[in-house]
Amino acid sequence: MRPNFFHHLHPPTVPAEQSRWRYTLGAGGTAIFLMLMLILTGALEMFYYIPTPENAARSVQTITYLVPFGGLVRNLHYWSAQLLLVVSAVHLVRIVFTGAYTPPRRFNYLLGLALFLLAILLDFTGYILRWDTGIQWALVVGTNLVKTIPLVGATLYTALTGSVEPGPATLIRFYAWHIFGLTLIAMILMIWHAFRVRRDGGIAVPPPGLRTVSDRISRFELVRRETLAMIFTASALILLSSLAPAPIAPPITEISAISGEVSAPWFFLWVQQMLKWGDPFLWGVLVPLIFLALLAIIPYGFPQPDPSELGRWCPQSNRLAQITLGVIALAVIVLTLLANAR
Amino acid sequence: MTPISRRNFLKIAATSLLTASGAVGLGGLLRFIAYQSEQAPAIEFDLGPAANYPIGSRTIHPNIPAVLIHTESGFSAISLVCTHLGCTVETKDSGFSCPCHGSTYSKEGRLLSGPAVEDLDVWPVELKDNGRLLVRKTIVQPRG
Repeated sequence: MRPNFFHHLHPPTVPAEQSRWRYTLGAGGTAIFLMLMLILTGALEMFYYIPTPENAARSVQTITYLVPFGGLVRNLHYWSAQLLLVVSAVHLVRIVFTGAYTPPRRFNYLLGLALFLLAILLDFTGYILRWDTGIQWALVVGTNLVKTIPLVGATLYTALTGSVEPGPATLIRFYAWHIFGLTLIAMILMIWHAFRVRRDGGIAVPPPGLRTVSDRISRFELVRRETLAMIFTASALILLSSLAPAPIAPPITEISAISGEVSAPWFFLWVQQMLKWGDPFLWGVLVPLIFLALLAIIPYGFPQPDPSELGRWCPQSNRLAQITLGVIALAVIVLTLLANAR
Repeated sequence: MTPISRRNFLKIAATSLLTASGAVGLGGLLRFIAYQSEQAPAIEFDLGPAANYPIGSRTIHPNIPAVLIHTESGFSAISLVCTHLGCTVETKDSGFSCPCHGSTYSKEGRLLSGPAVEDLDVWPVELKDNGRLLVRKTIVQPRG
């Protein structure tokens, strides 16, 4: 069989043992597929979305209820974005719990972490673009949190909102970040991330002398598996889109200043829960940044996995990294459940 | 001090100059994006004729947002913006409570329980010659 362009993006052969679902979970590839879905459906939404306070929520209603297949396009965009966060988290857990971040993959681990952060920012800015009563408090709280940062907070606040409170300038800035700024950076990092996977020697395996199994599979088999994963993910997206539509709420009016949804978007519920404890800067900015910093230093400051233990789950030698990520993940999940139990 | 070789000197000089010009560029970029392109919103609100608000009344004005209170001692306006992170507080029998993070305030806007650490703002209300009430926000910037 003659390899096509898609085949050529892959190495001729890859280790069989490390190409199994149970090892990779298919998370990185699925994340790329979701990002492509997001670009496609996002480009379609741009035909109707109007980034002004008077028209934003109405134009979202137009897409959702009037445009043929508009509801499907919006739901696919929404569910791809939510799944991207889940899949990115799973990918991070996989990398840490298999010790796949050791040199030469240290830098690519940081690229991946930056992509995870970008996915969260893209999710939040996209959520704000609804500009309806469902998002107003998350916007107020989120931007006010930025203001609590010492020294640069006030400048960052003006850069984000373009005013002294969220308004028309805020919407156009979030729009610019969402459809261009963050998306462009994410695209560049995604391509760089995938390039570095190849450059760093493909999927993490033990060094040649320590390998117990030397079987390899061809790029044709790998592409077949990736296509299966794409079909499965696309089916899941269509199923979710038909069963659970993306959230929408009435447009903001003068009266709605004293009503509306007060829950943060689901991926920030854990922060909202901590904010109930007090100081906004400590719980809303510092603690999330400490979590991020802890994850970032795993390849640099933590006990490293032994090369002989690479290529399989839960090496004994990097237990501390596994426990650190496990505790952070558990904290985020418990806080999210607490916020929901309100 | 050991003398710096020509090669090292050039390397250090080039790196420093590149860093400096990068910092200047970043500073310019930050100034560009941090321009306040939107006018600050109104801080004065006309609440209509004072006769509309009998003694003992508490009237919510969502556009400010504030509650106008008329007591024996006169008019006052309590801000409905939570001093923690800026959500609008809800009116309860006991006073006010913030739906976002749970701060509570008394009917007079005094802090009862956190996470907020400050009372609600109280703004002066002016009775104009034409009999209309004017409220002026004293703190324009939302807090963080």
